[in-house]
Amino acid sequence: MRNIFIVLKKDLQIAWRDKTGWLSSFIFSVILIFIYAFAFDLAKTNSELLLPGILWTTFLFSGIIVCNQSFQQESATGTLDAMIASPISQTSIFFGKFFCNLISLSIVQFMIVVLGTIMFQVNLLKIEVILVIFLGTIGFVSLATLLSAFEYRERFRAVLLPVIELPILIPLLLAGVQASSSALEISNTSSPWLIFLAIFSLWGFLGSILLFPLVNEK
Amino acid sequence: MDNALEFMFAGFAVFWAGLFVYLLILQQRIRSLNEQILLLRERLKGITLNDNSD
Amino acid sequence: MTSIKITILELGNWFLQPLWHSRWIILPVITSICVMAMLIGAVIAAPREIIEGDVQRLMYIHVPSAIISYLAFGITAVASAILLINGKLYWDAIARASAGIGLLLTFFALSTGAIWGKPIWGIYWTWDARLTTTLVLFLIYSSYLLVRNLGNANDTRAARYAAIVGLIGYLDIPLIHFSVDWWRTLHPQRIVFDIRPSLPTEMLIVLGIAFLAVLSLVLWLILLSATTEYLHQQVGKLSGDLDQMES
Repeated sequence: MRNIFIVLKKDLQIAWRDKTGWLSSFIFSVILIFIYAFAFDLAKTNSELLLPGILWTTFLFSGIIVCNQSFQQESATGTLDAMIASPISQTSIFFGKFFCNLISLSIVQFMIVVLGTIMFQVNLLKIEVILVIFLGTIGFVSLATLLSAFEYRERFRAVLLPVIELPILIPLLLAGVQASSSALEISNTSSPWLIFLAIFSLWGFLGSILLFPLVNEK
Repeated sequence: MDNALEFMFAGFAVFWAGLFVYLLILQQRIRSLNEQILLLRERLKGITLNDNSD
Repeated sequence: MTSIKITILELGNWFLQPLWHSRWIILPVITSICVMAMLIGAVIAAPREIIEGDVQRLMYIHVPSAIISYLAFGITAVASAILLINGKLYWDAIARASAGIGLLLTFFALSTGAIWGKPIWGIYWTWDARLTTTLVLFLIYSSYLLVRNLGNANDTRAARYAAIVGLIGYLDIPLIHFSVDWWRTLHPQRIVFDIRPSLPTEMLIVLGIAFLAVLSLVLWLILLSATTEYLHQQVGKLSGDLDQMES
């Protein structure tokens, strides 16, 4: 347990000192929302219907950037090998990274949600919506942490990570959008999307814990 | 349906074209394998010649 | 526990070894016979469907390709899991070969589906659960090959990374299928490829032959491709050994 806190504290300190990471991710999500507003003409049409989709695509794209940060910086400075060789277990490293990414992404998501509430005049700060977002984010962050731990060559990293992660995350996107629609009472769906979201997140979380030690074997 | 026959041929053509392309890719792999083995042979010859002349 | 493991390994060897050795003679012969039978059956012998006409003959490529692609990707997933457990690189050779064939089969399924759909239902594509899952599989295993090709034939790291993608991708399939299916029920669209009244016996027989043909073709190509990858690994190793000898 203590090891997890060590890794978590280190990563949070690095993220705090060098704010470009999560700041650029937040600015990117704001830019995305603007692009959607212009592309889908959200000033005129009923923007409510598109809102869950806008939210979740923004979460996915900015989330990939956030989860990429810690490992990219580690492989750039060469501390990744040191971490693997250290006596800290791989699982502890995973949890440390996972919680750091979760906290970072949650902060970004909160800011996006506040911004969305202001811009689209829809109250996104309801407890049901936050529950949906939180559940989905757990599954998303665990899978993204696992897949970001690969050591790609720098020039491929930016393109390759979305290509690998996004198809696998399609059920998450579908479930998140539909569950958010239900929570915002935009649509009435009878399918148990929230349960499905929970199942997917559980599946992603367990799979990532099991497979993470196999990524960077000594 | 006369036009349906064109579509049927198109479908089967896709099947054969796909197989052909795959076999071409496989052939490329085998060719590169061949070249690497020839290179290895040359290097091995070089080493045994050096050993003999020592 | 170990005795169970040994028995499973022995059974596996007893089944897999002859398959591996058959790839030079028996499999090609079986494959050519079956494929020829499938072609004759599909184009000539099978009865012409009353409503859809001759385009329906594409079913004999479309259906076996779609189903056997799941088998091919399953082989990739299992080989990836074994690779992650014991680290032996020839499982990576099998996984790669299988993924390549799986991609080919998904390509067949998607394109013959589109070509079949256009004259009959007027559309090339529909967001039905099976088609969409097939396309997502195509994307996942394309990324598998992309990751694998970051390193050469002997790169254990790239092999491990790709194995993780291959394994997770396959385990994701039921989740993808269900979510797309539920999503589709929200927006009822024209039901295509679904209404299939039970086929007459002649068509079923030809379909069975088509299955055999595609299956043997796939097995043969996987074994050939895996052998090539394995040889690449061996050559790479020899090259490394020679490097050591020269220095």
